[in-house]
Amino acid sequence: MKLAVISCIHANLAALEAVLSDIDRQRAEQIYCLGDLVGYGPYPNEVVERIRSLNIPTCQGCWDEDIVEGLNACECSYPSQLAEKRGRLAHEWTNQVLHPEVRDYLAQLPMTQRWGNLCFVHGSPNSQHEYLLPSMDGFAALERVLSTDADILFCGHTHVPYVRNLENVALTVTVRQPGQANTQQQFTTPLKRIVNAGSVGEPRHGRPNATYVLYDTDTTQVILREVPYDYQKTCEAIIDRGLPAVFAWRLARGMEFAERADDPSHVCQR
Amino acid sequence: MTPTVIAVAGPSGSGKTTWISQAIKEHDYNCIYLCPGCGEMPVDLARIGYCYPRVQVLSESQIPLLSALPQDTVIFLEIAFHIDLSLPFLSNLSCHRVAVLPADGGHSQWQTWADQLIPGNRFTEAAYAVTNPTNLWGTALKGQVFDSASLDELLKEITEGAYGNVQRLKGIFEIPDGRAFYIDFVQGREEIEYEELPIPRWLEGRPDRPSGIEVVGWQLNQAEITQTLLDSCLSEAAIEHYQQQYRTLTLDQEVTTA
Repeated sequence: MKLAVISCIHANLAALEAVLSDIDRQRAEQIYCLGDLVGYGPYPNEVVERIRSLNIPTCQGCWDEDIVEGLNACECSYPSQLAEKRGRLAHEWTNQVLHPEVRDYLAQLPMTQRWGNLCFVHGSPNSQHEYLLPSMDGFAALERVLSTDADILFCGHTHVPYVRNLENVALTVTVRQPGQANTQQQFTTPLKRIVNAGSVGEPRHGRPNATYVLYDTDTTQVILREVPYDYQKTCEAIIDRGLPAVFAWRLARGMEFAERADDPSHVCQR
Repeated sequence: MTPTVIAVAGPSGSGKTTWISQAIKEHDYNCIYLCPGCGEMPVDLARIGYCYPRVQVLSESQIPLLSALPQDTVIFLEIAFHIDLSLPFLSNLSCHRVAVLPADGGHSQWQTWADQLIPGNRFTEAAYAVTNPTNLWGTALKGQVFDSASLDELLKEITEGAYGNVQRLKGIFEIPDGRAFYIDFVQGREEIEYEELPIPRWLEGRPDRPSGIEVVGWQLNQAEITQTLLDSCLSEAAIEHYQQQYRTLTLDQEVTTA
């Protein structure tokens, strides 16, 4: 069975439509969405309506959570004062235009989705805000996958797609208890993987193209897809709808609307 | 006998200030530096003052003082790219005329005007084709302290064209650890250059010394540049918070090394 995994649409309707068409052409039978339907982009209501109309199983993203519960950012949410000001501005704009039923839909989204040995999250199993960067410490990365009891953990949030194989892992655990001799236990884990789906609506790979992944449950093959679309349409809507013009400039260069944290050892305090 | 006057001209980003700095470094005579046409607080004026404390920097309003200078003084007169060389002030000035020009730059008004030609920064073909930009914008930033990560981001946006086409950017920026940097960008160069200025760290309130930015280009959206600069400046409380931490760090280091 062929699955398509999409993430981080960020209210970019043109990008979502292009990706949905590509998924159709690739004959994927099921789509999973890893959240961040809203935030920064000009079409939050329309994007949510489209995802709902297709009954796509969806996780709650960090922007979806914040728009429901209010901003409560950790320092990793905003790596600079400029990013924070822009993030807050985009949050306020989205907050004002969002329809009540859309907000209700975002509020009831689960943090994770499951399908057999696959687990789907936005950031990490711990938090929608935590980044699983490709350079994250191997032990910490493995811990995140093991905590889900799945073999493959699909995530988004970083806006850069990647596949990370955690293979031939041997773990030695030492248990210390007061008044008793230390005991050691050894484990080996079968191949575990982290697959990051990139971003449909707010790419960060230096080109404006949308990205998502295809996964074949029979062959376990992962394919990273990059889909060109009419990003100028979104850029024009950003300006027409009163969002900062610099968002359009950044989107056209695949720079993400505001830069994100890049410390792989940071533990999100959100 | 009158003081020696060396007038230095050339297109924006060709290396006029760099050539003057080199000349100042190589000799120990009394020097005056001024930059007519650049307003009361051009970035170059502040930079020369910070880097060469023995050089007296004069603002435009102090030009009349030149006639009263001692005879052994050397006056460096940097003539900005947009100043008309046929101005009476310049054409009547008795001076040695130096033009700093990009190699293979073709014929220009500076070549006709100069007594001496100095090869300057190489421009890309595209950059040289547009050495007559239409906007020269700048602002003083005295007292402002920038969030370092925001400063990097805003410089990237300005120089890559988010607010119009930029041929040149130079500025002096204060950062939270008390240091100040001279930052220089010329279109055609691969990257933005950062140079820490040789001045004491400022860790007591808003820095009371000159800083600023100048941008040369076309169709510059000055309002948006200003807003982005303001969004990147730290509040009074944030400055105090950072300075307190850096003061403690400095004290700790002093105790360790004592």
